[in-house]
Amino acid sequence: MLKEYKTLLPLVKRYTVFYILGLLALVLTDAGELYIPQLIKQVTNIIAGENFTLQAVGRLVLMMVGVAAAVAFFRFGWRYFIHGASRRIERDLREQVFTHLLSLSSGFYQKMRTGDIMARSSNDMRAIRMASGMALVAFIDGFFLSVAILAILFSQFPRLALITIIPLPFITVIVLLGGKVIGRRFKLVQEGFSRLSEHVQEALTGIRVVKSFVKESWIEKSFHVRNDDNLRRNMQLVRIWGLFFPLITFVSGLSMLFLLYYGGQAVILDDFTPGDFMAFMSYLTMLRWPVMGMGFTINMLQRGAASLQRINEILNEKPDITSKPNAITSRPAGDLKVDRLNFRYQFEGPPLLQEISFEVPRGNTLGILGRTGSGKSTLVRLIPRLLDPPTGSIFIDGHDIRQYLLPQLRAAIGIVPQDSFLFSDTIRGNIAFGNPDATDEQVQRAADISTISRELLSFPHGWNTPVGERGLTLSGGQKQRIAISRAMLIDPELLIFDDALASVDAETEEQILDAFLKTRRGRTNILVAHRVSTLQHADHIIVLDGGRIVQQGSHDQLAQQPGLYRDIYRLQQLTGGGV
Amino acid sequence: MEEEKIIKGYDPVIMRRLLQFTKPYKLPAIIAIIALLIATVAELATPVIMQRAIDHHIMARYYRFAAADNVRSTLEEHGLYDDALEIGDNYYLPETDSEKLPADEKDALIEADQFSRTTWYLTPTREDADLQALINNYPDKIDVRDGYIIMTRADMQALPMEQKTLLRTGDINGIGRSTLLYFLLLAGALLFMFLQVYLIAYTGQEVMRDIRSSLFGHTIRQSLRYLGKTPVGTLVTRITNDVETINEFFTSVATSLLRDFALMGGVVVTLFLLDVRLATITVLSLPPVLLMTLFFRSRARDAYRRVRLWVSNVNAFLSEHISGMEVVQIFGREERSGREFKKKNEELLSANLSEMMVFAVFRPMINLFTSISIGVVLYFGGQMVMQTTVSLGIMIAYVNLIQKFYQPVMDFTEKFTIMQSAMAGGERIFHLIDAKDRIPDEGSGSLPEHVKGRIEFKNVRFAYVQDEPVLQDLSFTIEPGETVAIVGYTGAGKTTIANLLARMWDIQSGSITIDGVDIRSVPLQNLRNVVQPVQQDVFMFAGTIEDNIKLGADIPHRQVRRAAETVQAAPFIEQLPQGYESELKESGANLSTGQRQLLAFSRVVAHDPRILILDEATGSIDTETEQLIQAAIEKLMQGRTAIVIAHRLSTIRNADRILVLNDGQLAESGRHDELLARDGLYATLYRLQYQQQGGKAP
Repeated sequence: MLKEYKTLLPLVKRYTVFYILGLLALVLTDAGELYIPQLIKQVTNIIAGENFTLQAVGRLVLMMVGVAAAVAFFRFGWRYFIHGASRRIERDLREQVFTHLLSLSSGFYQKMRTGDIMARSSNDMRAIRMASGMALVAFIDGFFLSVAILAILFSQFPRLALITIIPLPFITVIVLLGGKVIGRRFKLVQEGFSRLSEHVQEALTGIRVVKSFVKESWIEKSFHVRNDDNLRRNMQLVRIWGLFFPLITFVSGLSMLFLLYYGGQAVILDDFTPGDFMAFMSYLTMLRWPVMGMGFTINMLQRGAASLQRINEILNEKPDITSKPNAITSRPAGDLKVDRLNFRYQFEGPPLLQEISFEVPRGNTLGILGRTGSGKSTLVRLIPRLLDPPTGSIFIDGHDIRQYLLPQLRAAIGIVPQDSFLFSDTIRGNIAFGNPDATDEQVQRAADISTISRELLSFPHGWNTPVGERGLTLSGGQKQRIAISRAMLIDPELLIFDDALASVDAETEEQILDAFLKTRRGRTNILVAHRVSTLQHADHIIVLDGGRIVQQGSHDQLAQQPGLYRDIYRLQQLTGGGV
Repeated sequence: MEEEKIIKGYDPVIMRRLLQFTKPYKLPAIIAIIALLIATVAELATPVIMQRAIDHHIMARYYRFAAADNVRSTLEEHGLYDDALEIGDNYYLPETDSEKLPADEKDALIEADQFSRTTWYLTPTREDADLQALINNYPDKIDVRDGYIIMTRADMQALPMEQKTLLRTGDINGIGRSTLLYFLLLAGALLFMFLQVYLIAYTGQEVMRDIRSSLFGHTIRQSLRYLGKTPVGTLVTRITNDVETINEFFTSVATSLLRDFALMGGVVVTLFLLDVRLATITVLSLPPVLLMTLFFRSRARDAYRRVRLWVSNVNAFLSEHISGMEVVQIFGREERSGREFKKKNEELLSANLSEMMVFAVFRPMINLFTSISIGVVLYFGGQMVMQTTVSLGIMIAYVNLIQKFYQPVMDFTEKFTIMQSAMAGGERIFHLIDAKDRIPDEGSGSLPEHVKGRIEFKNVRFAYVQDEPVLQDLSFTIEPGETVAIVGYTGAGKTTIANLLARMWDIQSGSITIDGVDIRSVPLQNLRNVVQPVQQDVFMFAGTIEDNIKLGADIPHRQVRRAAETVQAAPFIEQLPQGYESELKESGANLSTGQRQLLAFSRVVAHDPRILILDEATGSIDTETEQLIQAAIEKLMQGRTAIVIAHRLSTIRNADRILVLNDGQLAESGRHDELLARDGLYATLYRLQYQQQGGKAP
């Protein structure tokens, strides 16, 4: 468990001053709290005794209020410093995680889903915060208070102390065991809840199907099943949870009970003053929290360790795609050569690409055709090292791409990916994503190429219209065209369209390609497509099937040759009805 | 952009409507409240038991009054005479009662030598030889009269240990009885507290389930107009999270607030019962605490709002950047995104810290107030004990009760915040329930049992948004078994026709009939069993393939298989390891687009509608799959009246008839060749949109 906490060590060190001041304030708070019952005891004894003076009582009461004020001050102090430190540690850790996420490659994001990472950076952060703040407080507080109180009680009334504290360890045990069961059942409740949410989400997303097949009652029935299940899980939690605090109250009441029975007799028999009785009662009440705290501390530390482990899983993930030491710092110009490239995800996975070789001289356009799953996307993602190719298989300007400084390599390559992912930003912000300092003119030009500027008037705030969840909902074609503008704006040496025209109609595609080829004259391009109409613009075309190049040549050559290219070409002419 | 309200003040209307949902669970709720009261009483009674034991058995102090008429009338005046023991020439009154006498009357009695401040010890005498020996030992100190042993407390305290034990056996037994009572109260509190928590949770959970069910049932029956303009995420949040805040309010806040108020009220009442003057002094310390709580409540609310805002900002940023990490890396934006995150993270920290500050100040303040109140009670109480107007036991009970009183105040502000967010949640939920926007389903007629499938649109007028008509005076007829393609520019109203025929929307004027029956005159269920729209965006539910074909209908497996075979979905289904029983993950993510299309077609064939409306997909998929789908569509349309909102040239050319829409009206109609020959709108459209599909012809 402790080894997981190593990650926190440097962060805790950063806030050593906070912790020292906080713990000091905490100890002073406890000391003050322990002193107050002593004062109450003295007042009680004076009142119960025969030589009572109002002055003496007044002095002690004033002192008590003074101590209470100091306690309030120190109590503020420890909250300020310790909670402050744990909040800051949470911030630092979150930042550390995000910075690390930025350096990880798609291999990692294939292993871990977005939802999972999100859960780790919200729920787990909370658990870690508790462990680095409250757990410490509860532990120190509990330790100091219980040792001090027990010392006072045992030094003054050993026999009574021994009897009355018998029930207290049971509180720790209840908290410890109960906490575990509650934690487990709580997790089940959360699972039930997210199942319910998923179902609602699904039903409402598919509401058209539900309505057109008149399946409202069917979907309602399956909703009821999950709804009832959610209820059942909650009640299972309540059965334990509802018993938890009443049981603690009961057990701590038992020590009071022992005090009444044995302490009361002692007072009668005079080896105990009424004031002692009062003080003893206050101390016993105070002991209740530290013994609960012990249980909570252990639970919090365990949960914190489990959460840290999950965070460490992210942090320990080594960024696998990085620049080599002594990397080439110049920017590649765009002479691409692929030489006998073989690629698979894991060592034992099936080969995705085999013996791929081709060349694209600077200023040329390469077309890639292939069925779904033929390895097209994998191939283009290897070029900017989103996936890492084996050494000596992909070269730009005669250098292995692995020799380049990674930022320089990627700066020279633009990709329009298959799924046109946009950020919740303005349209302008999305187009200028690669160069936020771009001028309006540059943005406009990039928007013209993708023809998205046609729709400018329909955007309520022009280029500054926000898109995404809290803004305008764009159609697939609009998104794709914005993604094209985004890549066009940075005007890279090598530009790759990964099936980036699938959602636009044929006419628009034609317009985009015209403008594209005009602008890109003299630069290197790769067009991945499964429409032959797109590929006709390429200087050279390779046809992929099952991870291998099965054909290559110009459009005219390939259209004559028997093979996949001609088959697809004919099919498309047929279904499209070439006149 | 709608800034979501996360906090709202107490609203009696919302509260009343929420409480209406609890009606079916009146009994458990009432039992829970009773259990709550019992548990609270038991909890409050424990310090009283302590006080009793201290006063009667541990301290056992009596004051002595001379038995005279004026004394008797004074005692009677204050209702104390019944508690007094008349023994010999004296009345003995317990300390707890004596202190109820006003100080000036006591002073008068002392003047008259009828009362003294000397405290006495009384205990019933017993048949016990040792005790008798003890009594005989101190003839001048111990007086035995009327079955009581009487001596001053000072003399009693001076006795040696064994003799004291012997003398006070009765008191020790009394403590034993108090202890037993204490135990019973503890056990009672445990039992009733659990009962209360359990029953409240039960009620809360049942109520939440009912609210969720009615919300869900209500929402899925809303019209597509409504569902289309409300984001799915919002609806999901209403049905799940918002209901959860109300649940939280019921189970943790409402009950603990109820308990807190009962406890605080109980404490105040107990305080007054024990001693009016001390209680008044204590209650006077309340207003400042109340003011402080109010002040901190508003601060806590603001802080909470800010925290919520930044938590969601940070989470949104994070989740977006995780999903779009590749784009960030392609464009080399790592550093910039890192900086942006840092800024947001910093804002979140500062929001968290300001929330922390509110509680770091508030909690210690309440603690301080507790101590001040105790100090005040000790000071004035001490004075009163001295003037014999208050007993020590009562003072101790006070100190105890004041601590109990301030405990709930500690987390009042948090509870209020939860209540406020529950109110906001409730408001949103009722807003959802109150929005009634559904297609009226009042038709009592029915379509003929064997529908032929003749469709007639007559002067149909329709607009999604008022004053922006999509269809204007549209009329056309489709004969049974005919396949009709509808073409037109984007926005010409093609998809609208499908929506109207299945009554996803209602027309504004004109009529739509099937076999001569107006579709508004038949129940929706009846209509939609006959008319089946097939969407271009195929949706799959979590479940098996068979479930997705049946959609809960009572269709035998044989028919499911035949449906899949008809559209050639069977080969790929049978290749899956579990065949028809294979589970589909998140909306069929483990299937290809083409496979999902084929499954959707199987679904339609299995449900066998007479009339089919097919909205063709626009996106391109690879050519071979496309061929498969084409073949399936042809199978699908066999023997049915079919309307195809066409995007593929082949579909259009194969149609029996083409309807060309323009500006919401029928512009042309006829076969492909006829229309081309006419060289009108269709011919232009064809040249512009469809001819290029195959690329430039060689």
